[in-house]
Parts: sequence; structure tokens; C-alpha cells
Amino acid sequence: MSILVESSDVLPLVDVEIAFAAGSLQDPAGREGLALLTGHLVRRGPRGLSQQRFEDRLASLGARVSVQVSMRSTRIRATVLRRNLEPLLGLLADLVWRPAFRASDFAKLKRQARAALLARLDDDQSLAARCFREALFGEHPYARAQSGTAESLARIGLQQVEGFYGRNIAKGAFLVGVAGDVTDTEARALVSSYFPSSTRHKQKDSIVPTTKTRPGRHVIIVDKPERAQTQLLIGTLGSRTRDRNLFPLLVSNTAFGGTFSGPLMQEIRAVRGWSYSAYSRLLHAKQREAWYMTTAPASEYSADCAALQLDLLERWVDRGIKKAQLSFAQRYLINSHCFDRDTPSKRLESRLDVELLGIPRGYVEKYDELVARVSLQDANEATRTRISTRNLSIVVVATANEVAGAFESLPGVKSLEVVPFDRG
Amino acid sequence: MATSEVLIERLNRGVRKRNARLTFVRDVAFGDALRLRRFRLGNGLTVLTLIDRSAPTVSYHSWFRVGSRHERPGKTGLAHLFEHLMFNATRNRAPGDFDRLMEGAGAEANAATWTDWTYYYENAPRDALALLIELEADRMANLVLRAPQVSSEKEVVANERKLRVDDDVEGKALELLYEKAFVRHPYRWPTIGSMDDIRGFTVKDCREFYRTHYAPSNATIVIAGDFNESRALSQIQKHYGGLSAARRVERRRLSKEPPQRAERVFQLPAPTPTEKLLLGYRAPSFLDPDTPALVVANEVLFGGQSSRLHRLFCLDEELALSVRGSISPFVDTGLYEMWILLREGKKKADALALLDREIRRIGSEGPTPLELEKAICQLELSFLHSMETAGGKAEQIGFYETVANDGAAVFERLDAYGRVSVRDVKQAVAKYLRPSRRTRVEIRQRAS
Repeated sequence: MSILVESSDVLPLVDVEIAFAAGSLQDPAGREGLALLTGHLVRRGPRGLSQQRFEDRLASLGARVSVQVSMRSTRIRATVLRRNLEPLLGLLADLVWRPAFRASDFAKLKRQARAALLARLDDDQSLAARCFREALFGEHPYARAQSGTAESLARIGLQQVEGFYGRNIAKGAFLVGVAGDVTDTEARALVSSYFPSSTRHKQKDSIVPTTKTRPGRHVIIVDKPERAQTQLLIGTLGSRTRDRNLFPLLVSNTAFGGTFSGPLMQEIRAVRGWSYSAYSRLLHAKQREAWYMTTAPASEYSADCAALQLDLLERWVDRGIKKAQLSFAQRYLINSHCFDRDTPSKRLESRLDVELLGIPRGYVEKYDELVARVSLQDANEATRTRISTRNLSIVVVATANEVAGAFESLPGVKSLEVVPFDRG
Repeated sequence: MATSEVLIERLNRGVRKRNARLTFVRDVAFGDALRLRRFRLGNGLTVLTLIDRSAPTVSYHSWFRVGSRHERPGKTGLAHLFEHLMFNATRNRAPGDFDRLMEGAGAEANAATWTDWTYYYENAPRDALALLIELEADRMANLVLRAPQVSSEKEVVANERKLRVDDDVEGKALELLYEKAFVRHPYRWPTIGSMDDIRGFTVKDCREFYRTHYAPSNATIVIAGDFNESRALSQIQKHYGGLSAARRVERRRLSKEPPQRAERVFQLPAPTPTEKLLLGYRAPSFLDPDTPALVVANEVLFGGQSSRLHRLFCLDEELALSVRGSISPFVDTGLYEMWILLREGKKKADALALLDREIRRIGSEGPTPLELEKAICQLELSFLHSMETAGGKAEQIGFYETVANDGAAVFERLDAYGRVSVRDVKQAVAKYLRPSRRTRVEIRQRAS
């Protein structure tokens, strides 16, 4: 077990994070949602305390605890009034070492998870995001829904949850991060006393298959009734974390669609007023993650907006960005970088990312230098190499009969599929 | 930091324009370690400074005492549209310059509008402060309002309305709730405005609104973070000092909202997978002495996973996926909103009966001492979180200055929560959370 500390006496607050290098990528096929269910069941409290008593104890300490599961990590995040740090650490240690795993809690949790899946159908942005990942990654584990599906949740029993916990958490292969009003020495002493680690077990890095693009441009319409507006995502594969051209692509993407001043936002919102927001995002992971544009145009001009986005995308990839755009993006990224580290918890987060997600330490420590070093040639070459204009997933949440014809006519579209929004 | 007399003397040396002369008003503690200092420019502009060197950042807020309450029927949404227009060209800057310069400096610039106020903010690296002052002062006085910009922003706002209201079941329900809960007060119309009103705005409407409400005497500037106060004030004098104090902000008398004597119930069919209940009880204004007790009551009822209603609705009875409550922080009487997101197949009548039972219980018995202790600790935690960044501090100061006329009053509010007793909570619940004071929106599923 490693301990990371970020001290700051600005506010009498402390954040504690217990982080495991295991997330939804470890979900077995057919049992998607296992990592999340495990995290949430651990969160329900330790043995010897009912859930209600556990919650009461947390609340009366002035503490809050949440669990976040990503593809590669599970993080138990707590925040507490400084004066109650020590009792909180005691509770967290109990939680991690001796989770109750009560069958009655598990049954309730599964019903809650299924209800949450249903409630999410109200959220068009989340529907679009989920469908986009399925369209882009197909059968690859990156397409998996972290929350699972009604079917996959039904296949998960308490035994699987205990197994996941035993393999990934109980062995002590976790990191503890502390940020806030506590000195380095004090934090280390406190954490060591509550989380004594006899072995330094290192979590094995999971093997992730290569992601592949589906050839051609494919439209998926998530059909939902009475939509005045659409949620539109257009994208393709982006970058690996350790790609040589990650930073050139980051700078190029920032110039294209990462700011309000970029051509994507200007053409769509400022000139035409077609969408409240228009951004492009570059994700990265062990294998190539997604690059995508996101807009929310009204139904009547959704396809026109998509056509314009495709045109802007082609111009960006084929012609590249200009020198002035490059220096603007570099200035923006370097100058705004202070907001990635203006609180102790943010500084802790980036250190945990290095430890858990395989992000090279230099990306954090030499961020400004890596951004500044990108040349115009690097940026444009990275864009041409990595961003495909031919192989694209185009996902739109809309009332299908209002938009299908227009989307089918978009240039280069190879297929169009309509799926009901509540297909499960 | 120089003493106030020396600082003011130095800053006003050689300044001839009355509007540009600074006055020091007062200096008050802001928590244990920081000082909030208040200055006034000759043209009426209030400037609040808070030096906090915990991060190399600065937050610059411009708060205006104008919100949707200052609109008229037929012109709803103008304050919000105006917030959008403020990012356009000025007499000194071409279209797009504002965002380009801000982003180039690494600043995040945005704005918000609600019933009682509008504010604009930038969170930026500390070296960018001079640019923020220059650009904010420029758009306070020199905004260009012509047909192309107004037309394009109207389209953006129409899209925003579709996003937040027309296609959002909760947004639609909230709009209906306020429309029905108020019969006279402008709180009855949505801040984003009706679609017809948004489509109907003219350039003349916008110019008139700008002339009426965007004046130094109707604004407060808050600067929080790591900056040189003397240099910042000198820049403020330079860029705002030339603005005229002559424009007078008109204040309309608002019609008083008649008391509500019976529950109002409305149905909202929507394409949603689960049914929902939205309730709005007439709540005291933000500055009412009863408000802290009601805020504590809200924490007891809805605050986190140990709260009474979360436990009952989501864990014990499994009637709802989630429950939440909040009290509108309005200058006048607002609403205490409660949401119950029902689980599939569960009945609204059962949920309502359970809610009423618990409200009656807390109104007669009050919270337990443990519930009170938890609520106050959780409010303290939320307060500290809101103060983590320079932007968070500036927002709190701007809000309290605009609504309570005292930027440092946020600490008084925290103290007030700490003084709330079991009896106070009991009385506040019994007084405000009566069914006859509420408006109810029942969201039911409409088959697709």
C-alpha cells in the first residue's frame, strides 16, 4: 500500500481517497456492472454496524463518502471536517477491511441499480453517450456500460461481489491519498495505523485488446418521442495514453473544438446559433479511446448541423490548423493548467491518476513543456494520422421520423439504424 | 497590504474625475485568516477585495442587481438573453475578441442569471487580472447591440430552452410549478423566458435593458485570490472611472403575492419511464429569520444518505430512487422545492402520504439531537467546500453582497445554522410545510 499526501492548511477540511486499480474492465462478460455493485455494496458499511448507524456516524463527523468506478479504477472518496479526520479513518478502515456484505443490503442495492438504469432514460445526453460508445467500440470492453444492464445485473450474485472484492480489494493492493489540512508526517502516521499493510501486493495490469474502427460512416438514431432538440455525437477512435502524438493531438483538438473560440463553436453557435454548446473531446487510455464532437441542435436543423460538423472535421484533418491557432491553443492549455492544481484534492487526483491509470509521471510534471514543444507539423500530422474522416460513428438522440431521412443523406453514410431509447 | 488611508490617498493622487475617485468603506474579517475590504468608486461602483494566496489564481466577479424579476410579461427572458449578448462585440472590441482574449490568457469566463441577479465571472491565472478588469469595464458600457448578434443569440437561447425545459422533464415541471405557485410576483415566469418572448425580442428591447440596468451603481465587483490590491484598484479606477454615474436604475414596485390558502395540484404527462412528484411550499425569503431553521430542517429531511426521507423512501420502503429538497435563495418569498423520483410501479399517493406523515412528525416532535448535530455538521462541510477555490469565495461574496447587502454575511449564516435548536426546526416546519401552502406537480407517464 502506498500513501500520497497533499498538505494545505487553507481550510479545516481533509479529503481521503482509497483507490484500487480495478474497475469495470474487470467485469466478466455478461456480468457488466459487477465492479460498480461491489463498490456500492462496500459503501453500505462495515460488519457490526447497520447501514443506518454507519450513515449516522459519517454524517455526525461532518463527513461524506462516495464511490466512483471507472474502467480501470475504483475510488472510495471521503471528505471530512479536519477535527474528525481520525475517527473517519477508523470508519474507512473498517469499511475496506471488513465490509458487511449483507444479503439484504445486496438485494436492495440490485433493485436500486435497476431502478437507476430505468431513470437514466430521462437523460438524453447520457443516452447519447452510452450509445456512442457501443457504436464506436462494438464488442470491445471499452463499450461496456459501467452500470451494467438489467440482464447483466440479474446474473450477479453476492458470491461474485465477494469474489471481486477478494481478488481486487482485500489483498491490500490499494493506494491511500490524503489532501488538505494535515501535515505529511501526521497523515502518514494516521494512515499507517489504520491501514497496516503486511504485503506490498501490486495489482496486475489487465490485458486490454486493441480497439478497432468500423469502416465507413454509420448513423444510429436513438428514437425518443417528442424531442424538440437532438443530442448529437460524431466521432472515431482517438489516442492511446502512451502515443507519441498524444500531446500534438491534444493541442490540435484544443485548437479545433476545445475552446469557445475554436472553429467548431464559432461556426455552430456564434455564427448560426444552432447549438448551445459545440465541443470536441479527446480521450485516452491504454488502447485508443474516443475522439468526438458533441452538439445539441434543434430537430429541424440537426442533420444540417451534422453536415457542417463533418465538413469542419474534414477541413481540420485535411488542411490542419494554422500557426496562430496552434499558439492560441498552447497558450490556453498552459495558462489554464493552474486550475488543474488549485486545490489539494485536485493535486492528489492527478498523482493518483499517475499511479493507477498508467499515465506517465512526465505528463503531469512536464505538462507545460510538453504542450509548448508541439510544432505545427507535429499537430497536423497527429491529426491526419489519428483522426479518421471516413470511419465515423454518428449517434443522434431524436424523434426518428423527424430526422431519419436527412441523416441518411449525409455524405458517405454507409448505414443507418434506428434503435428505441428504452431498448434496455 | 497598505493601510486603507495611505492606499486611498496614493490611488486618488492626481485623479480629477469624480467618478474615478475611490473611497475606502470598511474592512471586515472573512473567516479566521482573510480580510474582505470594501471600496466605492465615485460613480457608485462597489468593489470588494479578498486577498487569498493559497493558489496562483484570481477570480473576478461582476454582479448586477438585475434578474428575471425586473422583466415584464411579454418580455420574459430578457435578463438571461442579455447575459448571452454580453459576450459579443463592444465599441472597442470585435466580435469574438472577448472569448479569444480570455481563453488565450487561460481564463474561464461564464455567467449566470436568476430571479434577483445576474453575474459574470472569470477564473484566471493571477497574471491575467489587468485584462479581466479592462474587458469587464469595456462591456459594462460599450456593448454593441445590433440585429445580427441579437438574432443569433436568440437562436442559441431558444436551443438552450429546448435543452433545459422542453426536452427535460424536470425543467418542464419546475416551470409549471413556479407558474402555478405564484399568481402575481414575477417569480412566476421562468428566467430563461417563454419561447414566444425569446423569439420576439428586438434590438430596441435589448438597448433599453442595457441602458436601464447595466450601470456602475447597480453593480458589485468582487476580486478574490492572489493579486496586488493597489494595482487592481488602480486599474479599476482607470477602466471604470470614466463610466458615468448618471444612469439611474429604475426600481419598480412589485405586486405583493397573496397568501396561499389551499393546495394546488397539477398533472404533467411526459414521455418519462418513471413517475415523479414535485412539491413547492411557500418558503420565507433568504433573509427571513426563519430561513436558517428551515435550511436545517431540509438537511434533516433530505441531506444525504443518513437523512430521514432518504432512509424511508429509498431504503426502507423502496418507494423512490431518490428524494431531494432545496429552498430557493430569493430576495422575496420563494419556494421550498421537494422532488420524489418514484420507482417503477410505486404509487404517488403512497409517497405523498409518507411525506406528509414525516413532515407532521418533525413538526410536532422536531428532529432528534443526533439529527440536528448531523445537519449542522453537514452544512458546515458544504460551506467549507464552497470556499475551496478563489472562484468559490468570490461567488459567495457576490451573492451575499447582492442579496443581503453584506459580502461577509456568509459567515453569519453559518453561525446562524449552528444556533438553530430542535424547537426552531419544529416551529419552522409547522409554520411553512403545511399542505395548504404547497403546489404539487404530478409527473405521469405518457405512453410513447
